[in-house]
Amino acid sequence: MNKQCPPPQANGALIQVTRLSKHYSNGHGVIPVLRGVNLEVLPGEMVAVMGPSGSGKSTLLFILGLLLPASSGNYRFLGQEVLNLSRADQAEFRRRRVGFVFQNCDLFENSTVYENLEFPLVYAQVERQERPERIAAALERVNLAHRMYHPANRLSGGERQRVAVARALVNQPLVILADEPTGQLDRQHGQMIMDHFAQIVATGDTALVIVTHDSQVAERCHRKFSMEDGVLYEN
Amino acid sequence: MRFSDLLRVSILQLVRHRRRYWGVMLAIALGTAGFITIITMGRDLKENFNRDLELLGRATVIKVYFEDRPAYQHQWFYDSTVEALRRLPGVGSVSLAVYTHAAKSNHQGQQYRYSLLGVDASYWDVCGFSAQKGKLFNLEVNNVRERAVVLGPELARSLFGSESVVGSKLVVDENLYTVTGVLKDVGLGDLRHFAFIPFTTAQDRIQRISPANRIYLRCLTWDDVEKVARLIPKAIQSSQYAPGIKVEVAWAQVKRVKAVAWWVELFIYSSIIATLILGGAGIWTVMMAAVRSRTREIGLKKAMGAEDQAIMAQFLAEAVCLSFTASLAGSALGLVTVEVTSLLINSHPGQGLFMVCVVLGLLVAVGLGVAAGLYPSLQASRMEVVSAIRYE
Repeated sequence: MNKQCPPPQANGALIQVTRLSKHYSNGHGVIPVLRGVNLEVLPGEMVAVMGPSGSGKSTLLFILGLLLPASSGNYRFLGQEVLNLSRADQAEFRRRRVGFVFQNCDLFENSTVYENLEFPLVYAQVERQERPERIAAALERVNLAHRMYHPANRLSGGERQRVAVARALVNQPLVILADEPTGQLDRQHGQMIMDHFAQIVATGDTALVIVTHDSQVAERCHRKFSMEDGVLYEN
Repeated sequence: MRFSDLLRVSILQLVRHRRRYWGVMLAIALGTAGFITIITMGRDLKENFNRDLELLGRATVIKVYFEDRPAYQHQWFYDSTVEALRRLPGVGSVSLAVYTHAAKSNHQGQQYRYSLLGVDASYWDVCGFSAQKGKLFNLEVNNVRERAVVLGPELARSLFGSESVVGSKLVVDENLYTVTGVLKDVGLGDLRHFAFIPFTTAQDRIQRISPANRIYLRCLTWDDVEKVARLIPKAIQSSQYAPGIKVEVAWAQVKRVKAVAWWVELFIYSSIIATLILGGAGIWTVMMAAVRSRTREIGLKKAMGAEDQAIMAQFLAEAVCLSFTASLAGSALGLVTVEVTSLLINSHPGQGLFMVCVVLGLLVAVGLGVAAGLYPSLQASRMEVVSAIRYE
């Protein structure tokens, strides 16, 4: 039986979200998207959020990555309130703390795999001589080191998504936020991506919050949540 | 974002989307090449243009002489005066002449009276005269004090009934001369009735003639005429006491030439400005299109942690790289054009001026890139991340 998530309690939580709400206003009134969401994610934890389209799960993910502002509530990351950060600090937060993986395998088409992975390092002002090693290490974790200088637009769908995972990892984030990362892949490649995620969180350094429609993907996570009409329930 | 990264990423973007930028680059390159060529070659072209404008009445020739009154009849210009005039800024060449209105010839039983000029070898070049028959006497003829005479076309017809008189003999003031040429009848005015003998011969053989009492100066360009005309009396007074000095300038022609040149320059500069504006508008358009087509890329980069300024700097750097590269190509094209034009008009423009133009062209291009790329870059930097990521 599903129950609405209680406010977070744990002291060592990576993410602590309390009574988080998000609504949009249009000419006809206020449209609630998230209603009093509570969520706690521990380091090294794999968390799945499921739910029908339009239920607000991607919105929650975007707020967790500070890509969208919340309307109300609290969001603590390693104990620090982050919803009131300035735009520059939000960017810094995304550079240092978070890695994103999106559904559409969004790579920079006219660039090589190396260049795709280099961008996060460029924005983080990592020294140029340090980059090849970090890029190679990230690609190694998704078994694509041999594709380092391959043009991105010549990769297969599965490879592209693995590169996207490697790109999310390259700045050694504390949490990976993945929005339907297996949505456009066949089952075999979807499993491969989940294997990589499992290996990544197994180190205990990185947590994963994954939004998915696929119950088999959710099954591989430590905890499963479902979102219905903006309310988050723990399964 | 480090400057070296910014530069590398921008150049890579330009190279990878080069087909999108060809038209804009061409416009800026042509504008820059035109700018460099016109400024570097401007003065030389003007001088050349000036030489070719004889039909417009020798607008750049200034005549300096003594008033034709008895009090000034025996005045002449000192060598130091001639040197002072030669050194005036804007003066290209100088010719000395001696004038008498009382030359006479007995020919076929009839007596003719006409004006005569004893002229040095550079007179023809200074005044832009050429021969329609025979040839005009040169330095050597002047040096050996030959008895050669060139006739104005009207005088040739009066004396001989025709202009085909080269080799004919003519007695001038009791000395026998050989007719060596007849002037081409273009813009001569009163000189159509004149006879011309070497300056040295005139000094030897024309009675009661003074030393040089006329000076002709050719200015480098029509823009120099007014300035030179203003400086001449002062330059003469500094060398000799010379009352009755007259400075004659063909002001009507100068005005007409300046008007023609003004329109030509207006056309050329307008073309260059239009080309650069076209290039600027092109940068604006392609950068706006780039921002639209790369919306998802912008969203992704922001999700990776790129700050607004980094996104803005990247698009701005791309616009500047685009205009700078185009301007570099334009500078190379300008160099080729300057070299070819120099060969064609036989001139030697200064390297310093060329380099100044190149630097100026590059600075203008950078300014153009910043101005045209600013708004698209701002648009890119202000984009909301989620709507950018979800952009189809």
